[in-house]
Amino acid sequence: MSEAALLHNSLMLGAILFAVGMVGMVVRRNMIVMFLCAEMMLQGVSVSLVAWGRFHNDFGGQMLVIFILTVAACEAGLGLALFVVLFHRSGNLDITYWQELREENQAAFMDREVPEEDREKTIWPQLTPSGVEPAANPEEELHRSRV
Amino acid sequence: MLTANEHLIGSAVVAALGLWLMLPPSGERLRALGLVVAASGLGWLMSRMPGLGTWAADAAFWSLAAATSAAAVATVVSRNPVYSALWFALSLLGTAGVFALQGAQFLAVATIVVYAGAIVVTFLFVLMLAQPDGTAYYDRVGWGRVTSLLACACPAVIVGVLAMMLSSSLAGFEAGTATVAELAANVRHEEHVARLGGTLFTDHLVAVELAGTLLLVALVGAVAITAQDRQKTDARKTHGGGASR
Repeated sequence: MSEAALLHNSLMLGAILFAVGMVGMVVRRNMIVMFLCAEMMLQGVSVSLVAWGRFHNDFGGQMLVIFILTVAACEAGLGLALFVVLFHRSGNLDITYWQELREENQAAFMDREVPEEDREKTIWPQLTPSGVEPAANPEEELHRSRV
Repeated sequence: MLTANEHLIGSAVVAALGLWLMLPPSGERLRALGLVVAASGLGWLMSRMPGLGTWAADAAFWSLAAATSAAAVATVVSRNPVYSALWFALSLLGTAGVFALQGAQFLAVATIVVYAGAIVVTFLFVLMLAQPDGTAYYDRVGWGRVTSLLACACPAVIVGVLAMMLSSSLAGFEAGTATVAELAANVRHEEHVARLGGTLFTDHLVAVELAGTLLLVALVGAVAITAQDRQKTDARKTHGGGASR
């Protein structure tokens, strides 16, 4: 197996993972998906580190990846605790909800024109009503418990 | 005919274009088109990479790499965050396979156990607590097309330029490679995990202790954050605040 080609290809795979994670971090609005994308960027870096470690015949790269794993676990624990708290306060996971977060006497810097959902595109399909709606029987309502 | 560099830049741009077509505001048809474009772009990029020598190594590496990058793209474009997390777990399995292929057996297993086993499962727990009914409008809409086009252009340039630089320095890599015997004496030693543990607990002992402390601090911090929030909500309820925010 050609070591130079293995290094080259692994670095490319690491770069692709990093780039895709970066796109996701910028493009998505769901806080948890953004966090997943940050983890994906860490994975891209880990792939590159292991490849360089093998190329230099040194354990340093793998050591660094072990510590990356540790820090990623800490980060996930703390981040998810924060997300649960933020979800309790806002009711959703949208990052734009928190764009007004600032110190007390600071001027608001708001993103205008945050895309909202098109109401017309979200109409759900409806079944056409068929038959005749039966008339309510007043006698039955007297003795029948509410269903 | 295109030069080698134009091939690399072009394939990166095509792949990014496909990714852009698949990103949130698109409908089903655009996403299918984007899937085809992104797959052809990635395939084009991979076809320009140097071979590993034996067909078995090539087949193993490229199938793992294709699975990893496809799952990574699916993580980013999925509307439902639960699917995102599951695709991310698949991408982690691919990464673990690449680690194993490079002889980092311990890391391959650790990635599966720690990442796919613990972190992704925690993500799924929180997702199901926070968003039990699948997609929300912010997952379907995103930031709009212009933002996502800019967001895709930037990584396309990064990947394309990196590919160009790597292909020009491949000859330098060839000169610096360790021989099989040298590798077998160190990184690819038969007792890989014993060697790894030896290095970890001698050269990096302080770092191990620090990492342990960091884990403890993170644990306490996570509990403190949720406990404080609960106390505040309880206080608000008992004092008749009513409003949730």
